Amino acid sequence: MRQAQDGEESAFAEIVRRYSPRVFSVASRFFRQRSLVEEAAQEVFLKAFTQLGSFEGRGSLEGWLTRIATNTCLNMVRGAKRRPEFTVSDLTEDEQSWLDHQPIDRSEQRSVENNLVATDLADRLLSVLSPEDQQALLMIDGEKASIKEVAEATGWSESKVKVRAFRARRKVREAMEKLLGHRSKERASEQVTR
Amino acid sequence: MKEKHIIEVLDNASITSLSETQVNEIQAHARECVSCRDAYDAARLSAVVLQSRAHATIEPSPFFQTRVMAAWREQQAVENVPAIWRLWNSAKVLVSTMAVTTAALAVVSLMAPASTTPLLDQSLSAYSAESVIMGQSSDDQMSYEQVLSTIYEDDDDAR
Repeated sequence: MRQAQDGEESAFAEIVRRYSPRVFSVASRFFRQRSLVEEAAQEVFLKAFTQLGSFEGRGSLEGWLTRIATNTCLNMVRGAKRRPEFTVSDLTEDEQSWLDHQPIDRSEQRSVENNLVATDLADRLLSVLSPEDQQALLMIDGEKASIKEVAEATGWSESKVKVRAFRARRKVREAMEKLLGHRSKERASEQVTR
Repeated sequence: MKEKHIIEVLDNASITSLSETQVNEIQAHARECVSCRDAYDAARLSAVVLQSRAHATIEPSPFFQTRVMAAWREQQAVENVPAIWRLWNSAKVLVSTMAVTTAALAVVSLMAPASTTPLLDQSLSAYSAESVIMGQSSDDQMSYEQVLSTIYEDDDDAR
């Protein structure tokens, strides 16, 4: 760390090698395209190297980088226009089929990893939220992070994190409820026409 | 819990973080309350898709480190250039254009004929205060000696 603060290039390279998985993981919460994730991660490291002198070593370097990454990505997505709430007709066939074949047994656990359809569906649901609310919900409900961890990563107060997560969870649930309602009505009308 | 709607509970925390007892109570209520059942189904599916989204992380490519270090070196190179040189680099086009324009104007002003001055004097005298007030040009005016000789000419003739 001291070597990096003295401007030694090999120390910077070591920081990139060691912490890029963490920075990529943060950027992946905001972006799905590899090019955007890489662009954000590069900006994070360049910012970090410039500000390395201000790092006093009170917390971990990983925590400090996570905070820079979160704020950098938030700034990048803030300018993007939010999409209006989507309807069931916007869903792809795969997404509709995924919703139709939701587990009947409520205790059934689906494989959540590598489920691209579910991931796409999540992006649609999250698009109705602000980037900050998305961040809070993905960290708490998706990654099972604690309120405190989210507060540390974002620099928000714990009560702000709680409010954001509550509001985001309710909005996403309502959007999903609407989709499920539309789907069950559509299925009923399809059965009648048959 | 059976009598109380569960929507508030669902929005307060992720369904995956609830204890088994809480989930059992929610399910028991949802069996009897249609609106809460819909909310519960939606919350359950939302939790599943959010977890899928959270797992969709992109790994750094093997060239990422090289790319960042190259960008860092480039940034350092820009910062190490003296400020006066950076200022010149950004303003050299403007300064060169201004210098060429000034030189061209100087050449034009030196090469142009200087014959306009007498004409200017004539035109000025034609509209001098005397000529305008007295209604005659300065050529018609007599000198002091002419006036004296005209006055005393008759006296000389008489003598």
